[in-house]
Amino acid sequence: MDVNNIAALTGNLAVIGYGLAAVGPGIGVGLVVSKTIESIARQPELAARLQVTMWLGIAFTEALALIGLATPFIFA
Amino acid sequence: MQFDNPKTVFTKVLKLGSLLISAIAVIGSLVGFLTAGIAGLLGALVGALIALIFVSLTALSVLIGSNLSLGGFYGVVLGGWLLKVVIFIGTIAIIKQISGLNRVAIFVTLVASVLGSLAVDAFVVTKSKIPVVS
Repeated sequence: MDVNNIAALTGNLAVIGYGLAAVGPGIGVGLVVSKTIESIARQPELAARLQVTMWLGIAFTEALALIGLATPFIFA
Repeated sequence: MQFDNPKTVFTKVLKLGSLLISAIAVIGSLVGFLTAGIAGLLGALVGALIALIFVSLTALSVLIGSNLSLGGFYGVVLGGWLLKVVIFIGTIAIIKQISGLNRVAIFVTLVASVLGSLAVDAFVVTKSKIPVVS
């Protein structure tokens, strides 16, 4: 075995960037939505207010996804 | 006293967001033209257009989904989000193939538009008066 070359990596490194850009916001949006569902289950009369707040949370999280997904494409 | 409901909030967000992104497109294309010529101008316009479409889609999906049941609402909002990310990757992949567009101009206007629309979103939501009990 060649000790100088134990782990070889081939392919485009930017692909890892797309993956990471999808994982973070995916977890973020999942948390925002799950907590909103929980809150609406506790207080259904607050649904309208919670949906607006949830949308703000999703908007901030997805901004990260859009920037993260665009970065490897533009600078690759 | 006039109260807002989610519909008026999202309509206001869509209007103000479009206005802001249009302004960023004008400024960005001007700066792009001065720094990178026609490629910079086109790049800035493409970046602003992508941002406008993808940012507006979220507000639009919540607006459409709010008429549905809770399951339908999450189906529309989350399904729309998933579809949007896939289409966004496809769009960027196509744009990457097109020569004659300045990539830095695309990226800068895209980031500026996304951050600007976030500011608009936060501003509109904090200024809105949604009653606690609907």
